[in-house]
Amino acid sequence: MNRRDLLKAMGALALVPAALRPSAARAAEGQARRVIFFYYPDGVAGPSQNGEPSLWHPTGGETGFSLPACSEPLEAWRDHCVWFTGLSMGGTDSGSHPGGAKKLLTASDGGNGESIDQYLSRTVGANSPWRHLYLGAGANANNPSGDKHITYFAPGQSITPEDNPRRAFQALFGSGGAVPTPSTGGGVAVDPVKRSVLDAALAELDAYRTRLGAVEQTKLSLHLDALREVERRIVGSDTSDPLTPVASCDSPSLDTGGFGDGELYDPSRFPAVLRAQIDLMVLAMACGMTRVGTIQGSQHTSELIMSRFPGSEMYDPGFDMRSHQASHYGASHDASHREFADYVKQRRWWASQFGYLLQRLADTPEGDGSMLDHSLVVLCTEVCDGNTHLHDNMPFLLAGSGGGSVRTGRHLDVGYRRHGDLWVSVGRAMGASLDRFGDASSGVVPGLLA
Amino acid sequence: MKRAALATLLAAACDPAGTSTGDRDAALPTCATPAYPVQQIRLLTRREYDASVRDLLPSLVATCATDADCDLRHQSCVADTCVADACALVTFVLPAPDGPYGSVHVAGSFNGWPATRAEGGWPMTWVASERAYVAKHAVPDGRHLYKLVIDDGVDWVADPSNAATEPDGFGENNSVLIQQCDGAAPVTGDGFDPAADFPVESRPQGYAFDNHADAGLVTSVHVGQYLDAAATIADQALARPAELLGCTPTDDACVRGWVTAFGRRAFRRPLTPAEVDRYAGYVTAQADRTTGLSVALQVMLSSPDFLYRSEVGEDVGDGTAVLTAWETATALAYLLWGTTPDDALLDAAANGDLDTPAGIEIQARRLLDDPRARGLVGTFTEQWLGIEKVSTLDRSEALFPGFTPAVRAGMRDETRTFVEHVTFDAGRTFADLFTSDVTWIGDAVAPFYDLPPPGSVAAVQVAGDPRRAGLLGQGSVLAATAHSDQTSPIRRGVFVRERLLCQDLGLPPANAGGVPDVDPTATTRERFAQHTADPFCSGCHQYIDGVGFGFEHFDPVGRWRDDDAGQPIDAAGDLNDLEGIGTRTHAPFDGLPQLGELLATSPSARRCFADQWLRFTLGRENDPADCSLDAVDDPFAQSGGSIPELLVALTQAPSFTRRTTP
Repeated sequence: MNRRDLLKAMGALALVPAALRPSAARAAEGQARRVIFFYYPDGVAGPSQNGEPSLWHPTGGETGFSLPACSEPLEAWRDHCVWFTGLSMGGTDSGSHPGGAKKLLTASDGGNGESIDQYLSRTVGANSPWRHLYLGAGANANNPSGDKHITYFAPGQSITPEDNPRRAFQALFGSGGAVPTPSTGGGVAVDPVKRSVLDAALAELDAYRTRLGAVEQTKLSLHLDALREVERRIVGSDTSDPLTPVASCDSPSLDTGGFGDGELYDPSRFPAVLRAQIDLMVLAMACGMTRVGTIQGSQHTSELIMSRFPGSEMYDPGFDMRSHQASHYGASHDASHREFADYVKQRRWWASQFGYLLQRLADTPEGDGSMLDHSLVVLCTEVCDGNTHLHDNMPFLLAGSGGGSVRTGRHLDVGYRRHGDLWVSVGRAMGASLDRFGDASSGVVPGLLA
Repeated sequence: MKRAALATLLAAACDPAGTSTGDRDAALPTCATPAYPVQQIRLLTRREYDASVRDLLPSLVATCATDADCDLRHQSCVADTCVADACALVTFVLPAPDGPYGSVHVAGSFNGWPATRAEGGWPMTWVASERAYVAKHAVPDGRHLYKLVIDDGVDWVADPSNAATEPDGFGENNSVLIQQCDGAAPVTGDGFDPAADFPVESRPQGYAFDNHADAGLVTSVHVGQYLDAAATIADQALARPAELLGCTPTDDACVRGWVTAFGRRAFRRPLTPAEVDRYAGYVTAQADRTTGLSVALQVMLSSPDFLYRSEVGEDVGDGTAVLTAWETATALAYLLWGTTPDDALLDAAANGDLDTPAGIEIQARRLLDDPRARGLVGTFTEQWLGIEKVSTLDRSEALFPGFTPAVRAGMRDETRTFVEHVTFDAGRTFADLFTSDVTWIGDAVAPFYDLPPPGSVAAVQVAGDPRRAGLLGQGSVLAATAHSDQTSPIRRGVFVRERLLCQDLGLPPANAGGVPDVDPTATTRERFAQHTADPFCSGCHQYIDGVGFGFEHFDPVGRWRDDDAGQPIDAAGDLNDLEGIGTRTHAPFDGLPQLGELLATSPSARRCFADQWLRFTLGRENDPADCSLDAVDDPFAQSGGSIPELLVALTQAPSFTRRTTP
């Protein structure tokens, strides 16, 4: 039975009206094809309470700068990165981890705005099979409250990532590993029962929205967008985003570690879980599944016992050093303090994980270069210095030249600018028509974009 | 309005020493315009989805004749029900696609390598539906070698579903089985959890529960999972279509009858005639009626009418709407059972019995008499106290050996069972939660409490240790509020202030400093002394540490300790400003039993317990200016703190059935 017959047979089914869609999502020349936000908790060894200089921010000018201890693991990638001095998240809740986490991707005090990844997912990423992919490593540990999560689906409302690489892989590629081919738009043979259910589910939701009138329209319109996204994923559509897979994705496979839900929160497994999620993000993007991704490593005020990471600089099975504990290293950068010494090692570890993500992207050819050349990758955390907890001079890092949209290999001293401007810049590089983002932005970061 | 209690609720931030006037009366709001929740729809949580599907389609879980009717590798059929296999029970499977042999048995180091069944081989049974031989046998902890033996010794083969092998000395391989079940968490339930892969619920800051109305948003991950779950459920339910329908699906009247009845249960309201036509149409549109039923079932389970519970009501014109009888039945069932209404409750709605508070009360009391209410109270308890995380907490094995999954599960189980018992069987009062000297433990937890093992894996009632009376001395609470390597007076103090007294202390300021290092020469109290010495810290910590020190006799896994860093523990504390931040009162105590007594008799602790239940009921934080809490707490107080009466009072308050219109 084809779709039309089925619709007829279903009688009263109303055709769903076309939703308002953002303009074409095709990545033009000189634009980034995708963006990944990579988050880690508890800041860096920034300017200390006693006035010692930051161990994250580069010293020196726009070029020829040198990288201190926390940034140094990214030395090999310096030509692909832009460091910033002077990006601020504003004074509200400065001094607080949750306050910073709420502002981080929303650029809105109290998380009272949509986050930039969600904004991009429903604009430039709107027609991708997955508008957004939110993967976590230990991000849901210990039944946290919502302020631990950085992606805001609606103002004031964060959502939770998938912490299990196996489950995420299954959701993306199905247990059979079949990939929809969005570029062929509906050329996939779809199980007719599945098709019927999907069509009916859309009609049900539409009827329900009509019945509710003015009540809960935001909730239901998010639901409708989600349903349409799944429809596009299953049956394709003429408006599907022609993301060309850059890798052969006929039978994608990935070592997802086979983690049981219990093992996900064992600190000695954390590095393996994070690595699997990074691999999965790169695979999903290489297969043209999505343009917008967020990887959340742990959660703010993290209880993660990083001294149990096998083979790491800070490995010490006889001593528990948690991320948040180390971040309160004291008023000075005093290497004789165990907290400070471990804190620096931990921050270096996170930088090296970001380096691994860059490596994976650089290793995957795309066009005349690599995926990294056509992507933007953002490294971020919710406070600057882990001890002072200030929200000024935030340690953002932008990597990837975004298809030529960003001039990399630089250290930009922006004086004082709100970090919403970084999100404006990232959005513009992705092709969004964005002039302001969040509470207090004024436009693109000067000199950042090509 | 109780002014002291209101002052408690109004305290949004700490009181730096000496700055409060102590008089907030001028700011007290009046209660002329109660702030009811807005008209809303509430997405089913994962636990609500599972429970609802289970109740809608009992045939999915209830019946089996043999193990083969269950998930054979992980479940057994016990008393007509599929139950998850215990850790020790190993399932051996030998596929035989070409048909049965004469016989197959298991032989290995665990049973003396018998060549025949007569000599003690564990027989395997031919399961035609799997085209395989299957045996389930308990195997003790340790490393074992084995083979599967065909036709009583004719052929010895390694287990094809076990990749672990080692040479058998005869040029072939033995299978290797490493059993490690000591310390494993007991397996519970029947493994029927279709929502297991759904995204975790988001819990807004300061809201303890999984059911916040604003947080129930549907992403595409949800949609994908809803569709997958519906397909799986439909497949299973339609394995026996006659059982689902009770009549023949080729009969149109049968189909309409099923749609009408199932639709009322699934949507928690009667279907309109047009809806009956539509869903019956999904069935009859398919040449194969079983396929049609599958489509209809999947559509209903993916429908917003199933996925959201409606609290929209009917506009009564004064800026509020009143829930319909169906919505009231739904609210009752999910509040008191965590699942969909049963037929009796829907019938009560249909008959107009839920149109008055008295009618609602009759049904509320009936629901409270059902075992499902006990389960719901357990769920509330785990979320209220934040002890779900005990299963995943990091605890250094070197410092705290033996804190196994079995112990963790046993501690969670203890607290659930204790609160269920207090609520339904024993004193039934709020005070009992903090003073009762009985508790519920099994053999795994007993050594942690210096109690003799009661001789039971499952929790049984024991006379507790008087040093740990009530909830505060239970391992779950003590572990959930500690660090991986040390106790945390801060977390324990904040736990009492925020979870038990509903006093919000706000966020720590910049430069708050971290946890002092473990120092073998200093007690925890000494290490944290700066909090009270430094005025910058003491503004908040005057409310935190003095309470938290009272827990110091209990280590991060809930064991008693006499000494800390070689010095005797000082567990004296002060529950200052108990009835409200800024009230300038002191309540000294020494140790947990005395702290428990203070809480048991505190009006603001009682009111906070009512508040937590009201949040759970409405799916929102409560506005301190709203009098809906009075409507719940007043009858609770008048009943002498009876928890069952509180649960009834939740359903009698105007906030239960009133919603404001946009």
